Amino acid sequence: MSIMQLNGGSVVAMVGKDCVGIATDMRLGNQALGISSEFQRVFPLTDRIYYGLPGLATDVATLRERFRYRVNMYTIKEEREIEPETFAHLVSSTLYEHRFGPYFVEPVIAGLSKTPSGGLKPFIAATDLIGCLNFAKDFVVAGTASEKLFGVAEGLWEPDLEPEDLFETISQTLMNAVDRDAYSGWGCTVHILTKDQVITRTLKARMD
Amino acid sequence: MECSFALTGKDYVIVAADTTAARSIVKMKIDEDKIKELSPHLLMAYSGEPGDTVNFAEYIERNIRLHHIRHLVPLSPSASAAWIRRALAQSLRSRNPYSVNLLLGGYDTAEDKPKLFWIDYLGTLSEVPFAAHGYGSYFALSLFDRYHNPEGTVEEGLATLKRCIDQVSKRLVVAPGKYKVKIVDKDGVREVEI
Amino acid sequence: MPDMVNLSAHSQQHPQQRQFNPYTENGGTILAIAGADFSVIAGDTRQSEGYSIQTRYAPKVFRLTDRAVLAVNGFAADGNMFVKKVRQRLEWYRHAHAKDMPLRAIARLIQTMLYSRRFFPFYVYNILAGIEEDGSGAVYSFDPVGSYEREACRAAGAGQSLVQPFLDNQIYFKNQKAAHGTSHPAHLPLNTVLSLVIDSFTSATERHIEVGDGLEIYVVLSKGRPMHGLEGLRGMEEVTTTNDGERVFVIRRDLKKD
Repeated sequence: MSIMQLNGGSVVAMVGKDCVGIATDMRLGNQALGISSEFQRVFPLTDRIYYGLPGLATDVATLRERFRYRVNMYTIKEEREIEPETFAHLVSSTLYEHRFGPYFVEPVIAGLSKTPSGGLKPFIAATDLIGCLNFAKDFVVAGTASEKLFGVAEGLWEPDLEPEDLFETISQTLMNAVDRDAYSGWGCTVHILTKDQVITRTLKARMD
Repeated sequence: MECSFALTGKDYVIVAADTTAARSIVKMKIDEDKIKELSPHLLMAYSGEPGDTVNFAEYIERNIRLHHIRHLVPLSPSASAAWIRRALAQSLRSRNPYSVNLLLGGYDTAEDKPKLFWIDYLGTLSEVPFAAHGYGSYFALSLFDRYHNPEGTVEEGLATLKRCIDQVSKRLVVAPGKYKVKIVDKDGVREVEI
Repeated sequence: MPDMVNLSAHSQQHPQQRQFNPYTENGGTILAIAGADFSVIAGDTRQSEGYSIQTRYAPKVFRLTDRAVLAVNGFAADGNMFVKKVRQRLEWYRHAHAKDMPLRAIARLIQTMLYSRRFFPFYVYNILAGIEEDGSGAVYSFDPVGSYEREACRAAGAGQSLVQPFLDNQIYFKNQKAAHGTSHPAHLPLNTVLSLVIDSFTSATERHIEVGDGLEIYVVLSKGRPMHGLEGLRGMEEVTTTNDGERVFVIRRDLKKD
């Protein structure tokens, strides 16, 4: 049994029109045994950045602590909030520091980055467990249901979705993918980041 | 084989652990207390590799106590859980890691809420309404899903716990004989007979 | 003694085992959807082994009769041989009974043929689609040793995990709630089904290296069903053999070749 699949769980992030979405399931398991249906693996970093850490649950907690520490230090030194692109590179280098004894997580980052003109541009990225970055223009997936997420997202996603349409697309993508994955599921949470608010919803999903 | 259960109720947490200390196929002791009282409102049931368990539990116990003495206030259940998790996560990537699984039940006197944490030897931490470790978990978690009431009285909580222990005794081949049961609430820790 | 042959070094060698592996995996994906009075069954035409493409056109979907089409996916050699054997049994049936075997009977035949090889199986996932005797569209899906089930839709092969959850959502309307006072349709119209099939394969082609090159979609229409929507479709060809029964069509499309 792979360490990456020990605890289960999946995350997906998608780009919309002036908004981004990030969604996750809520299962924490030990192989086939379900431990918790309230496990959080997507966290807010700033008002404009959310990130998800599917993978080994102990490393989810450890990396969350590390990222919080490093981003706090950045904020204090720079006297400004970190940009999503910068955070993606911070994630990448943090993981690559442990190239030959890695943390077993595949982070997904979703945020709105500042443009020179003062506007906000949607940003998503994902890395593998040693920090190889993937800046996608459409959507990124990770976790035990990643293959299923790729299939559904490729079929449902379209460019320039408005926040409510993006919410529907990302929710349907996640729920239908995790329903075909034994290691993911047990509830879903979705975050939609727009220029003036973050919409967080818990979905009524299959609990088996 | 080792079993431990815990559940929250309206304003309490019940923690139960079997009392056998086994080496291979031999029972060495049948009245071992595997639930430590870490602070006035905090209980920790531990199980896992013999030797590691007591050593780790005492290390945690002394450090939590040290914090209490130094700061004159006990560490809150959630802060204790985070610290213990970190100790296990660091140990996991050391030369010889502890293999200890924990259930941490406490009463948060600041929030006036019962708290329960499921922690495994990897340093996986999860706050849960009920939890179990060992082979007993395969029976207990299903029973908790059906019977657990987060607003239940102590009597109701003990009845649910009794269901778990009875089912494990009935259906698990390697079921332990006796359990120690402790309750933590706003008045502190107490042991009960079941 | 320098000239003596050392026998002991030879005899102390470990016993060696060599094994011939009779199976391989040739990639590709198949998919079938049943309608009220039609069925659609499709497969890509890429055949690969590991990272090598053996051919860009190797059909995986085969017309058995005018009301039954079989798709085979997995080990191509076993698949082709299995189709050959099924066709032979269907021909014997025609000679004995002077009619085509009904679809449900073909499904049961496939089960017994697969299970007869329980301990040296055909390494093939089968999907059978066609028209039942009552005129309804039907899909039967099989595992390699003959467990089977009648369903409304099924995907199999390399792209199964990409396509099946998409179909759950779009065909079974899983995780979707019908508008107040309405209900989800039990069967979708033919043009909707065809778009979903094409979308499924373009999606799978985009994300899976073993899927692509070409797409063959077979459509089986119930007896007397109007063609609406099907006539004049790009790349469509009729492959029916009789005059007054069910009708079979094949639609060929290109998929990305990278």
